[in-house]
Amino acid sequence: MNSKSELIKFEEGISLESGDNLSSFELMIETYGDLNDSKTNAVLVCHAFSGNHHVAGKKSNGEIGWWDEIVGPNKAIDTNKYFVVCCNNLGGCSGSSGPSSINPTTGKIYGKDFPIVSVKDWVNSQNMLTERLGIPRWLFVVGGSLGGMQALEWSIAYPEKILKAGIFAAAAKSSTQNIAMNEVGRESIRKDPNFNNGDYIELGVKPKNGLKTARMLGHITYLSEENMDLRFGRKFQDSNSKVDGKVDFEVENYLQYKGEKFTENFDANSYILMTKAMDGYDASKNFKNLDEALSSVSSELLIVGFDSDWLYPPERGKEIQLAAMNNNIRSSYITLDGRQGHDSFLFASEKYEEIIQDFVGS
Amino acid sequence: MAKELSSYIENWVPENSKVIDFGCGDGSLLKKLINSKNILGYGVEINDEKINECIKKKVPVIKQDIDMGINEFASSNFDFSIMARSIQCLKNPNLALNRMLKLSKRCVVTLPNLGYWKCRFDLLKGRMPVTPDLPLSWFETENIHLCTIKDFEKLCSDEGIKIQDKVFLSGSGKKSLISSLIPNLFATEGVYLLEKE
Repeated sequence: MNSKSELIKFEEGISLESGDNLSSFELMIETYGDLNDSKTNAVLVCHAFSGNHHVAGKKSNGEIGWWDEIVGPNKAIDTNKYFVVCCNNLGGCSGSSGPSSINPTTGKIYGKDFPIVSVKDWVNSQNMLTERLGIPRWLFVVGGSLGGMQALEWSIAYPEKILKAGIFAAAAKSSTQNIAMNEVGRESIRKDPNFNNGDYIELGVKPKNGLKTARMLGHITYLSEENMDLRFGRKFQDSNSKVDGKVDFEVENYLQYKGEKFTENFDANSYILMTKAMDGYDASKNFKNLDEALSSVSSELLIVGFDSDWLYPPERGKEIQLAAMNNNIRSSYITLDGRQGHDSFLFASEKYEEIIQDFVGS
Repeated sequence: MAKELSSYIENWVPENSKVIDFGCGDGSLLKKLINSKNILGYGVEINDEKINECIKKKVPVIKQDIDMGINEFASSNFDFSIMARSIQCLKNPNLALNRMLKLSKRCVVTLPNLGYWKCRFDLLKGRMPVTPDLPLSWFETENIHLCTIKDFEKLCSDEGIKIQDKVFLSGSGKKSLISSLIPNLFATEGVYLLEKE
Protein backbone atom coordinates (compact mmCIF):
# COMPACT_ATOMS: atom_id res chain seq x y z
CA MET A 1 0.00 0.00 0.00
CA ASN A 2 1.19 3.44 -0.97
CA SER A 3 1.22 5.26 2.38
CA LYS A 4 3.04 8.34 3.62
CA SER A 5 3.48 10.03 6.99
CA GLU A 6 4.16 13.70 7.16
CA LEU A 7 4.36 16.43 9.78
CA ILE A 8 2.69 19.58 8.48
CA LYS A 9 3.39 22.93 10.07
CA PHE A 10 0.79 25.69 10.21
CA GLU A 11 2.69 28.92 10.86
CA GLU A 12 -0.53 30.90 10.64
CA GLY A 13 -1.75 29.38 13.92
CA ILE A 14 -5.37 28.85 14.91
CA SER A 15 -8.00 30.55 17.07
CA LEU A 16 -9.69 28.05 19.32
CA GLU A 17 -13.30 27.80 20.43
CA SER A 18 -12.23 28.52 24.01
CA GLY A 19 -10.97 31.95 22.98
CA ASP A 20 -7.33 30.89 23.29
CA ASN A 21 -5.13 30.56 20.29
CA LEU A 22 -2.07 28.71 19.15
CA SER A 23 0.38 30.97 17.34
CA SER A 24 1.51 28.00 15.26
CA PHE A 25 0.87 24.28 15.32
CA GLU A 26 1.78 21.03 13.65
CA LEU A 27 -0.36 18.11 12.48
CA MET A 28 1.02 14.64 11.97
CA ILE A 29 -0.78 13.01 9.08
CA GLU A 30 -0.78 9.73 7.24
CA THR A 31 -2.11 9.30 3.71
CA TYR A 32 -2.91 6.21 1.67
CA GLY A 33 -3.39 5.88 -2.07
CA ASP A 34 -3.36 8.74 -4.55
CA LEU A 35 -5.46 11.81 -5.13
CA ASN A 36 -6.96 11.53 -8.62
CA ASP A 37 -6.58 14.28 -11.22
CA SER A 38 -10.08 15.64 -10.66
CA LYS A 39 -9.48 15.56 -6.86
CA THR A 40 -12.78 13.80 -6.26
CA ASN A 41 -11.63 10.69 -4.40
CA ALA A 42 -10.44 12.11 -1.07
CA VAL A 43 -11.61 10.49 2.14
CA LEU A 44 -10.91 11.95 5.57
CA VAL A 45 -10.87 9.49 8.45
CA CYS A 46 -11.24 11.05 11.90
CA HIS A 47 -9.83 9.13 14.81
CA ALA A 48 -11.52 8.40 18.11
CA PHE A 49 -10.30 9.36 21.54
CA SER A 50 -7.13 7.28 21.82
CA GLY A 51 -6.48 6.73 18.09
CA ASN A 52 -4.01 8.52 15.90
CA HIS A 53 -3.04 9.19 12.29
CA HIS A 54 -1.94 5.58 11.73
CA VAL A 55 -5.22 4.19 10.36
CA ALA A 56 -4.11 1.30 8.22
CA GLY A 57 -1.19 -0.91 7.33
CA LYS A 58 1.74 -2.06 9.41
CA LYS A 59 4.42 0.33 10.64
CA SER A 60 8.06 -0.69 10.71
CA ASN A 61 7.69 -1.30 14.47
CA GLY A 62 4.89 -3.75 13.74
CA GLU A 63 2.06 -1.46 14.85
CA ILE A 64 -1.09 -2.17 12.88
CA GLY A 65 -3.40 0.75 12.04
CA TRP A 66 -6.46 1.16 14.27
CA TRP A 67 -8.90 0.75 11.38
CA ASP A 68 -6.88 -1.67 9.29
CA GLU A 69 -9.88 -3.99 9.03
CA ILE A 70 -11.82 -1.33 7.13
CA VAL A 71 -9.20 0.79 5.35
CA GLY A 72 -6.74 -0.66 2.83
CA PRO A 73 -6.41 -2.10 -0.65
CA ASN A 74 -9.68 -3.86 -1.65
CA LYS A 75 -11.19 -3.18 1.77
CA ALA A 76 -14.44 -1.33 2.51
CA ILE A 77 -12.61 2.00 2.17
CA ASP A 78 -10.45 0.92 -0.73
CA THR A 79 -7.11 2.70 -0.86
CA ASN A 80 -6.73 1.58 -4.49
CA LYS A 81 -9.68 3.83 -5.29
CA TYR A 82 -9.58 6.53 -2.65
CA PHE A 83 -7.00 8.93 -1.31
CA VAL A 84 -7.38 8.43 2.43
CA VAL A 85 -6.11 11.00 4.92
CA CYS A 86 -5.99 10.88 8.69
CA CYS A 87 -4.36 13.30 11.10
CA ASN A 88 -3.46 13.02 14.73
CA ASN A 89 -5.76 15.54 16.35
CA LEU A 90 -4.57 18.73 17.93
CA GLY A 91 -3.82 18.08 21.60
CA GLY A 92 -2.93 14.46 20.90
CA CYS A 93 0.33 12.75 21.63
CA SER A 94 1.31 11.00 18.40
CA GLY A 95 3.19 13.78 16.68
CA SER A 96 0.74 16.66 16.39
CA SER A 97 0.99 19.68 18.67
CA GLY A 98 -0.20 18.74 22.11
CA PRO A 99 0.61 19.01 25.81
CA SER A 100 3.76 16.90 25.42
CA SER A 101 5.22 19.03 22.60
CA ILE A 102 7.34 22.15 22.86
CA ASN A 103 5.58 25.49 23.09
CA PRO A 104 7.32 27.53 20.35
CA THR A 105 6.83 30.78 22.27
CA THR A 106 8.48 29.62 25.49
CA GLY A 107 10.71 26.84 24.23
CA LYS A 108 9.35 24.65 27.02
CA ILE A 109 7.02 21.68 27.03
CA TYR A 110 3.37 22.84 27.08
CA GLY A 111 2.24 20.48 29.84
CA LYS A 112 -0.81 21.90 31.57
CA ASP A 113 -0.57 25.11 29.52
CA PHE A 114 -1.75 23.53 26.31
CA PRO A 115 -5.13 25.16 25.66
CA ILE A 116 -8.43 23.28 25.79
CA VAL A 117 -9.34 22.01 22.34
CA SER A 118 -12.76 21.02 21.05
CA VAL A 119 -14.27 18.89 18.30
CA LYS A 120 -14.95 22.13 16.43
CA ASP A 121 -11.27 23.11 16.75
CA TRP A 122 -10.24 19.75 15.33
CA VAL A 123 -12.57 20.18 12.39
CA ASN A 124 -11.26 23.71 11.81
CA SER A 125 -7.66 22.48 11.90
CA GLN A 126 -8.58 19.61 9.56
CA ASN A 127 -10.10 22.20 7.24
CA MET A 128 -6.78 24.05 7.20
CA LEU A 129 -5.16 20.73 6.35
CA THR A 130 -7.71 20.25 3.56
CA GLU A 131 -6.69 23.56 2.04
CA ARG A 132 -3.02 22.74 2.45
CA LEU A 133 -3.48 19.44 0.64
CA GLY A 134 -5.38 21.21 -2.16
CA ILE A 135 -8.52 19.15 -1.72
CA PRO A 136 -11.60 21.13 -2.82
CA ARG A 137 -14.11 18.74 -1.31
CA TRP A 138 -14.02 15.46 0.61
CA LEU A 139 -15.90 12.62 -0.99
CA PHE A 140 -16.39 11.13 2.46
CA VAL A 141 -15.57 12.19 6.00
CA VAL A 142 -15.91 9.31 8.40
CA GLY A 143 -15.21 8.28 11.95
CA GLY A 144 -16.43 6.26 14.89
CA SER A 145 -17.15 7.47 18.41
CA LEU A 146 -15.37 10.81 18.90
CA GLY A 147 -14.39 10.48 15.22
CA GLY A 148 -18.08 10.29 14.33
CA MET A 149 -18.64 13.55 16.19
CA GLN A 150 -16.00 15.14 13.95
CA ALA A 151 -17.70 13.76 10.83
CA LEU A 152 -20.99 15.25 12.05
CA GLU A 153 -19.34 18.57 12.84
CA TRP A 154 -17.71 18.60 9.40
CA SER A 155 -21.10 18.32 7.73
CA ILE A 156 -22.45 21.15 9.90
CA ALA A 157 -19.45 23.50 9.67
CA TYR A 158 -18.27 22.97 6.09
CA PRO A 159 -21.26 21.73 4.08
CA GLU A 160 -19.76 22.83 0.79
CA LYS A 161 -16.60 20.81 1.40
CA ILE A 162 -18.07 17.42 2.10
CA LEU A 163 -20.20 15.17 -0.08
CA LYS A 164 -20.92 12.30 2.31
CA ALA A 165 -20.43 11.70 6.01
CA GLY A 166 -20.19 8.45 7.96
CA ILE A 167 -21.10 8.82 11.63
CA PHE A 168 -20.56 5.55 13.45
CA ALA A 169 -21.18 4.66 17.11
CA ALA A 170 -21.46 8.34 17.87
CA ALA A 171 -23.80 10.93 19.30
CA ALA A 172 -24.61 14.59 18.73
CA LYS A 173 -23.54 15.17 22.31
CA SER A 174 -22.01 13.24 25.17
CA SER A 175 -24.46 11.97 27.74
CA THR A 176 -24.36 12.67 31.47
CA GLN A 177 -23.12 9.11 31.97
CA ASN A 178 -20.34 9.64 29.40
CA ILE A 179 -19.17 12.76 31.24
CA ALA A 180 -19.36 10.98 34.59
CA MET A 181 -17.22 8.06 33.40
CA ASN A 182 -14.65 10.41 31.91
CA GLU A 183 -14.47 12.43 35.10
CA VAL A 184 -13.56 9.32 37.09
CA GLY A 185 -10.74 8.70 34.62
CA ARG A 186 -9.50 12.27 34.86
CA GLU A 187 -9.71 12.25 38.63
CA SER A 188 -7.54 9.16 38.85
CA ILE A 189 -4.90 10.93 36.74
CA ARG A 190 -5.07 14.14 38.75
CA LYS A 191 -4.73 12.22 42.01
CA ASP A 192 -1.59 10.42 40.85
CA PRO A 193 1.28 11.86 42.95
CA ASN A 194 3.36 12.15 39.78
CA PHE A 195 0.79 14.30 37.98
CA ASN A 196 2.18 17.48 39.50
CA ASN A 197 -0.70 19.58 38.22
CA GLY A 198 0.12 18.55 34.64
CA ASP A 199 3.78 19.58 34.59
CA TYR A 200 5.30 16.14 35.01
CA ILE A 201 7.42 15.75 31.87
CA GLU A 202 9.92 18.40 32.98
CA LEU A 203 10.33 16.54 36.26
CA GLY A 204 11.06 13.35 34.36
CA VAL A 205 8.07 11.48 35.80
CA LYS A 206 4.73 10.19 34.48
CA PRO A 207 1.38 9.78 36.27
CA LYS A 208 1.41 6.24 35.03
CA ASN A 209 -0.77 4.66 37.69
CA GLY A 210 -3.50 7.24 37.34
CA LEU A 211 -3.47 6.96 33.56
CA LYS A 212 -3.57 3.19 33.79
CA THR A 213 -6.60 3.20 36.08
CA ALA A 214 -8.35 5.69 33.80
CA ARG A 215 -7.75 3.46 30.80
CA MET A 216 -8.91 0.34 32.63
CA LEU A 217 -12.21 2.00 33.46
CA GLY A 218 -12.51 3.37 29.94
CA HIS A 219 -11.87 -0.04 28.48
CA ILE A 220 -14.79 -1.54 30.37
CA THR A 221 -17.10 1.07 28.87
CA TYR A 222 -15.93 0.18 25.34
CA LEU A 223 -16.92 -3.47 25.71
CA SER A 224 -20.30 -5.09 26.09
CA GLU A 225 -21.27 -7.31 28.99
CA GLU A 226 -21.92 -10.17 26.58
CA ASN A 227 -18.55 -9.76 24.92
CA MET A 228 -16.68 -9.72 28.22
CA ASP A 229 -18.59 -12.80 29.30
CA LEU A 230 -17.77 -14.65 26.10
CA ARG A 231 -14.13 -13.65 26.08
CA PHE A 232 -13.24 -14.09 29.70
CA GLY A 233 -16.19 -15.52 31.58
CA ARG A 234 -15.14 -16.33 35.10
CA LYS A 235 -11.99 -18.07 33.94
CA PHE A 236 -8.94 -17.82 36.18
CA GLN A 237 -5.71 -16.50 34.75
CA ASP A 238 -3.08 -19.11 34.16
CA SER A 239 -0.40 -18.50 36.80
CA ASN A 240 2.43 -18.44 34.22
CA SER A 241 0.97 -15.50 32.36
CA LYS A 242 -0.18 -13.29 35.22
CA VAL A 243 0.92 -9.67 34.97
CA ASP A 244 1.25 -9.71 38.74
CA GLY A 245 0.35 -11.74 41.80
CA LYS A 246 -2.77 -9.72 42.66
CA VAL A 247 -4.61 -10.97 39.61
CA ASP A 248 -7.12 -13.84 39.87
CA PHE A 249 -9.42 -13.67 36.86
CA GLU A 250 -8.54 -13.45 33.17
CA VAL A 251 -10.52 -10.24 32.85
CA GLU A 252 -8.41 -8.63 35.57
CA ASN A 253 -5.23 -9.69 33.87
CA TYR A 254 -6.50 -8.36 30.56
CA LEU A 255 -7.38 -4.94 31.99
CA GLN A 256 -4.07 -4.73 33.85
CA TYR A 257 -2.18 -5.58 30.67
CA LYS A 258 -4.17 -3.20 28.45
CA GLY A 259 -3.92 -0.39 30.99
CA GLU A 260 -0.19 -0.83 31.40
CA LYS A 261 0.42 -0.95 27.67
CA PHE A 262 -1.65 2.20 27.14
CA THR A 263 0.60 4.21 29.46
CA GLU A 264 3.65 3.43 27.31
CA ASN A 265 2.40 5.55 24.42
CA PHE A 266 -0.25 7.87 25.75
CA ASP A 267 0.19 11.15 27.51
CA ALA A 268 -1.90 11.87 30.61
CA ASN A 269 -2.51 15.52 29.71
CA SER A 270 -3.71 14.44 26.27
CA TYR A 271 -6.06 11.98 27.99
CA ILE A 272 -7.57 14.83 29.95
CA LEU A 273 -7.81 17.08 26.88
CA MET A 274 -9.35 14.44 24.64
CA THR A 275 -11.97 13.41 27.19
CA LYS A 276 -12.78 17.08 27.83
CA ALA A 277 -13.29 17.59 24.09
CA MET A 278 -15.58 14.57 23.99
CA ASP A 279 -17.60 15.73 27.01
CA GLY A 280 -17.82 19.26 25.70
CA TYR A 281 -19.18 18.33 22.31
CA ASP A 282 -22.77 19.26 21.69
CA ALA A 283 -23.66 19.79 18.04
CA SER A 284 -26.61 21.96 19.04
CA LYS A 285 -24.67 24.11 21.52
CA ASN A 286 -25.00 27.32 19.51
CA PHE A 287 -28.46 26.52 18.21
CA LYS A 288 -31.99 26.16 19.51
CA ASN A 289 -31.91 22.38 19.04
CA LEU A 290 -30.35 19.63 16.95
CA ASP A 291 -32.82 20.25 14.11
CA GLU A 292 -31.61 23.81 13.80
CA ALA A 293 -27.96 22.73 14.14
CA LEU A 294 -28.32 20.46 11.13
CA SER A 295 -30.10 23.02 8.97
CA SER A 296 -26.88 23.89 7.12
CA VAL A 297 -26.04 20.29 6.24
CA SER A 298 -26.09 19.35 2.58
CA SER A 299 -24.03 16.17 2.60
CA GLU A 300 -25.57 12.74 2.56
CA LEU A 301 -25.35 11.04 5.97
CA LEU A 302 -24.81 7.42 6.88
CA ILE A 303 -25.33 6.85 10.58
CA VAL A 304 -24.54 3.48 12.08
CA GLY A 305 -25.14 2.31 15.64
CA PHE A 306 -24.28 -1.00 17.27
CA ASP A 307 -26.83 -2.77 19.41
CA SER A 308 -24.37 -3.81 22.14
CA ASP A 309 -22.95 -0.28 22.48
CA TRP A 310 -24.03 1.21 25.79
CA LEU A 311 -21.63 4.16 25.69
CA TYR A 312 -23.17 5.71 22.56
CA PRO A 313 -26.22 3.48 22.11
CA PRO A 314 -28.18 3.20 18.84
CA GLU A 315 -30.78 5.76 20.03
CA ARG A 316 -28.13 8.49 19.90
CA GLY A 317 -27.51 7.74 16.23
CA LYS A 318 -31.23 7.61 15.48
CA GLU A 319 -31.62 11.09 16.96
CA ILE A 320 -29.12 12.45 14.46
CA GLN A 321 -30.89 10.75 11.55
CA LEU A 322 -34.27 12.04 12.70
CA ALA A 323 -32.99 15.60 12.96
CA ALA A 324 -31.43 15.17 9.51
CA MET A 325 -34.71 13.90 8.08
CA ASN A 326 -36.55 16.84 9.64
CA ASN A 327 -34.21 19.01 7.58
CA ASN A 328 -34.87 17.00 4.41
CA ILE A 329 -31.28 15.73 4.39
CA ARG A 330 -30.70 12.47 2.58
CA SER A 331 -29.74 10.27 5.49
CA SER A 332 -29.77 6.63 6.51
CA TYR A 333 -29.67 5.04 9.93
CA ILE A 334 -28.68 1.42 10.44
CA THR A 335 -28.23 -0.62 13.62
CA LEU A 336 -25.77 -3.46 13.28
CA ASP A 337 -25.31 -6.31 15.67
CA GLY A 338 -21.75 -5.92 16.84
CA ARG A 339 -20.83 -7.96 19.86
CA GLN A 340 -17.92 -5.80 20.92
CA GLY A 341 -19.98 -3.02 22.47
CA HIS A 342 -18.83 0.50 21.66
CA ASP A 343 -15.64 -0.87 20.10
CA SER A 344 -17.73 -2.65 17.44
CA PHE A 345 -17.15 0.24 15.06
CA LEU A 346 -13.47 -0.76 14.86
CA PHE A 347 -14.08 -4.28 13.61
CA ALA A 348 -15.05 -5.45 10.16
CA SER A 349 -18.14 -7.55 9.62
CA GLU A 350 -19.67 -8.49 6.30
CA LYS A 351 -22.69 -6.21 6.71
CA TYR A 352 -20.69 -3.27 8.05
CA GLU A 353 -18.16 -3.50 5.23
CA GLU A 354 -20.84 -3.78 2.56
CA ILE A 355 -22.74 -0.79 3.86
CA ILE A 356 -19.66 1.43 4.02
CA GLN A 357 -18.43 0.30 0.61
CA ASP A 358 -21.82 0.77 -1.05
CA PHE A 359 -22.43 4.13 0.60
CA VAL A 360 -19.08 5.59 -0.48
CA GLY A 361 -19.24 3.97 -3.89
CA SER A 362 -22.87 4.75 -4.77
CA MET B 1 -43.16 -5.23 -6.59
CA ALA B 2 -45.19 -5.80 -9.73
CA LYS B 3 -44.61 -3.11 -12.32
CA GLU B 4 -48.33 -2.34 -12.61
CA LEU B 5 -48.71 -1.90 -8.85
CA SER B 6 -45.85 0.53 -8.60
CA SER B 7 -47.26 2.47 -11.58
CA TYR B 8 -50.58 3.00 -9.80
CA ILE B 9 -48.79 4.25 -6.72
CA GLU B 10 -46.60 6.46 -8.89
CA ASN B 11 -49.68 8.16 -10.31
CA TRP B 12 -50.82 9.23 -6.87
CA VAL B 13 -47.50 10.54 -5.53
CA PRO B 14 -47.06 14.27 -6.20
CA GLU B 15 -43.86 15.57 -7.74
CA ASN B 16 -41.12 16.86 -5.39
CA SER B 17 -42.89 15.47 -2.35
CA LYS B 18 -41.35 14.02 0.80
CA VAL B 19 -42.24 10.35 1.00
CA ILE B 20 -41.73 7.61 3.56
CA ASP B 21 -42.13 3.98 2.56
CA PHE B 22 -42.75 1.59 5.44
CA GLY B 23 -41.46 -1.86 4.61
CA CYS B 24 -39.61 -0.47 1.60
CA GLY B 25 -37.88 -3.76 0.75
CA ASP B 26 -34.99 -3.28 -1.67
CA GLY B 27 -36.00 0.34 -2.29
CA SER B 28 -37.07 -0.16 -5.89
CA LEU B 29 -40.37 1.72 -5.54
CA LEU B 30 -38.65 4.69 -3.92
CA LYS B 31 -35.92 4.60 -6.55
CA LYS B 32 -38.59 4.72 -9.24
CA LEU B 33 -40.30 7.66 -7.54
CA ILE B 34 -36.98 9.48 -7.08
CA ASN B 35 -36.34 9.14 -10.81
CA SER B 36 -39.82 9.90 -12.13
CA LYS B 37 -41.23 12.30 -9.53
CA ASN B 38 -38.08 13.79 -8.05
CA ILE B 39 -39.26 12.91 -4.56
CA LEU B 40 -37.22 13.02 -1.36
CA GLY B 41 -37.74 9.47 -0.21
CA TYR B 42 -36.93 7.53 2.95
CA GLY B 43 -37.42 3.80 3.32
CA VAL B 44 -38.01 1.94 6.55
CA GLU B 45 -36.90 -1.67 6.56
CA ILE B 46 -35.82 -4.33 9.02
CA ASN B 47 -34.10 -6.83 6.73
CA ASP B 48 -30.33 -6.25 6.48
CA GLU B 49 -29.93 -7.59 2.95
CA LYS B 50 -32.74 -5.35 1.70
CA ILE B 51 -31.28 -2.37 3.56
CA ASN B 52 -28.06 -2.94 1.73
CA GLU B 53 -29.87 -2.98 -1.61
CA CYS B 54 -31.32 0.43 -0.70
CA ILE B 55 -27.87 1.84 0.10
CA LYS B 56 -26.60 0.50 -3.23
CA LYS B 57 -29.45 2.29 -5.00
CA LYS B 58 -28.71 5.53 -3.09
CA VAL B 59 -32.10 5.30 -1.43
CA PRO B 60 -31.98 6.66 2.15
CA VAL B 61 -33.09 3.95 4.54
CA ILE B 62 -33.73 3.56 8.24
CA LYS B 63 -33.49 0.25 10.02
CA GLN B 64 -36.60 0.01 12.10
CA ASP B 65 -39.30 -2.48 12.96
CA ILE B 66 -42.47 -0.81 11.69
CA ASP B 67 -44.50 -2.53 14.37
CA MET B 68 -42.54 -0.59 16.97
CA GLY B 69 -42.08 2.78 15.41
CA ILE B 70 -44.20 4.78 13.04
CA ASN B 71 -44.67 7.46 15.66
CA GLU B 72 -40.91 7.97 15.84
CA PHE B 73 -41.13 9.80 12.54
CA ALA B 74 -43.95 12.07 13.66
CA SER B 75 -41.73 15.15 13.93
CA SER B 76 -40.76 15.00 10.27
CA ASN B 77 -43.32 16.47 7.89
CA PHE B 78 -44.03 14.00 5.14
CA ASP B 79 -46.31 14.66 2.22
CA PHE B 80 -46.95 11.05 1.57
CA SER B 81 -46.51 7.66 3.22
CA ILE B 82 -46.62 4.23 1.67
CA MET B 83 -47.16 0.80 3.11
CA ALA B 84 -47.18 -1.82 0.41
CA ARG B 85 -48.11 -5.38 1.36
CA SER B 86 -47.00 -4.94 4.96
CA ILE B 87 -50.02 -3.85 6.95
CA GLN B 88 -51.25 -7.44 7.32
CA CYS B 89 -47.97 -8.30 9.09
CA LEU B 90 -48.42 -5.73 11.84
CA LYS B 91 -49.68 -6.31 15.36
CA ASN B 92 -52.03 -3.33 15.20
CA PRO B 93 -52.96 -2.49 11.60
CA ASN B 94 -55.60 -0.01 12.73
CA LEU B 95 -53.11 1.95 14.84
CA ALA B 96 -50.60 1.84 12.02
CA LEU B 97 -53.13 3.34 9.60
CA ASN B 98 -53.94 6.18 11.94
CA ARG B 99 -50.28 6.85 12.68
CA MET B 100 -49.43 6.97 9.02
CA LEU B 101 -52.19 9.49 8.45
CA LYS B 102 -50.78 11.59 11.28
CA LEU B 103 -47.36 11.60 9.61
CA SER B 104 -48.66 12.59 6.22
CA LYS B 105 -51.95 13.88 4.90
CA ARG B 106 -52.19 11.07 2.42
CA CYS B 107 -51.03 7.50 2.32
CA VAL B 108 -51.09 4.49 0.06
CA VAL B 109 -51.82 1.08 1.49
CA THR B 110 -51.85 -2.11 -0.50
CA LEU B 111 -52.95 -5.44 0.91
CA PRO B 112 -53.68 -8.97 -0.22
CA ASN B 113 -57.39 -9.91 -0.30
CA LEU B 114 -58.34 -12.94 1.73
CA GLY B 115 -61.78 -12.82 0.07
CA TYR B 116 -60.25 -13.76 -3.28
CA TRP B 117 -62.10 -16.79 -4.64
CA LYS B 118 -59.06 -19.08 -4.55
CA CYS B 119 -58.62 -18.31 -0.85
CA ARG B 120 -62.28 -19.05 -0.23
CA PHE B 121 -61.95 -22.27 -2.18
CA ASP B 122 -59.01 -23.39 -0.02
CA LEU B 123 -61.04 -22.60 3.10
CA LEU B 124 -63.99 -24.55 1.69
CA LYS B 125 -61.63 -27.49 1.34
CA GLY B 126 -60.87 -26.96 5.02
CA ARG B 127 -57.35 -25.61 4.53
CA MET B 128 -55.66 -22.27 5.10
CA PRO B 129 -55.28 -20.49 1.76
CA VAL B 130 -52.04 -20.85 -0.17
CA THR B 131 -52.10 -18.90 -3.43
CA PRO B 132 -49.49 -17.33 -5.70
CA ASP B 133 -50.05 -14.10 -3.74
CA LEU B 134 -50.01 -15.78 -0.35
CA PRO B 135 -47.50 -18.52 -1.04
CA LEU B 136 -46.47 -19.49 2.50
CA SER B 137 -48.11 -21.99 4.83
CA TRP B 138 -49.89 -20.78 7.94
CA PHE B 139 -46.90 -21.60 10.11
CA GLU B 140 -44.36 -19.81 7.92
CA THR B 141 -46.23 -16.68 6.95
CA GLU B 142 -45.67 -13.28 8.55
CA ASN B 143 -49.24 -12.34 7.61
CA ILE B 144 -50.94 -12.36 11.00
CA HIS B 145 -53.78 -9.96 10.15
CA LEU B 146 -55.13 -10.93 6.76
CA CYS B 147 -58.47 -9.44 5.81
CA THR B 148 -60.84 -9.11 2.90
CA ILE B 149 -61.45 -6.02 0.80
CA LYS B 150 -64.77 -5.54 2.64
CA ASP B 151 -63.07 -5.84 6.05
CA PHE B 152 -60.48 -3.24 5.14
CA GLU B 153 -62.99 -0.77 3.78
CA LYS B 154 -65.13 -1.20 6.90
CA LEU B 155 -62.09 -0.47 9.06
CA CYS B 156 -61.43 2.69 7.06
CA SER B 157 -65.00 3.86 7.49
CA ASP B 158 -64.99 3.02 11.23
CA GLU B 159 -61.76 4.96 11.71
CA GLY B 160 -62.95 7.97 9.73
CA ILE B 161 -60.45 7.35 6.96
CA LYS B 162 -61.52 8.48 3.52
CA ILE B 163 -60.73 6.29 0.54
CA GLN B 164 -59.75 8.83 -2.11
CA ASP B 165 -59.03 6.33 -4.81
CA LYS B 166 -58.62 2.59 -5.17
CA VAL B 167 -57.48 0.04 -7.68
CA PHE B 168 -58.07 -3.70 -7.60
CA LEU B 169 -55.63 -6.08 -9.15
CA SER B 170 -56.42 -9.53 -10.43
CA GLY B 171 -54.27 -12.65 -10.38
CA SER B 172 -52.16 -11.33 -13.25
CA GLY B 173 -51.17 -8.30 -11.14
CA LYS B 174 -53.15 -6.03 -13.48
CA LYS B 175 -56.49 -4.29 -13.32
CA SER B 176 -59.30 -6.30 -14.83
CA LEU B 177 -63.00 -5.64 -15.36
CA ILE B 178 -64.12 -8.45 -13.12
CA SER B 179 -61.72 -7.57 -10.28
CA SER B 180 -63.03 -4.01 -10.41
CA LEU B 181 -66.69 -5.04 -10.50
CA ILE B 182 -66.64 -7.65 -7.73
CA PRO B 183 -63.34 -6.96 -5.94
CA ASN B 184 -64.06 -8.88 -2.77
CA LEU B 185 -64.28 -12.09 -4.78
CA PHE B 186 -62.01 -11.47 -7.76
CA ALA B 187 -59.26 -9.09 -6.65
CA THR B 188 -56.02 -10.52 -5.32
CA GLU B 189 -54.86 -7.16 -4.09
CA GLY B 190 -56.38 -3.86 -3.10
CA VAL B 191 -54.46 -0.62 -3.64
CA TYR B 192 -55.80 2.34 -1.70
CA LEU B 193 -55.16 6.04 -1.60
CA LEU B 194 -56.28 7.16 1.86
CA GLU B 195 -56.82 10.45 3.59
CA LYS B 196 -57.97 11.31 7.11
CA GLU B 197 -61.41 12.91 7.09
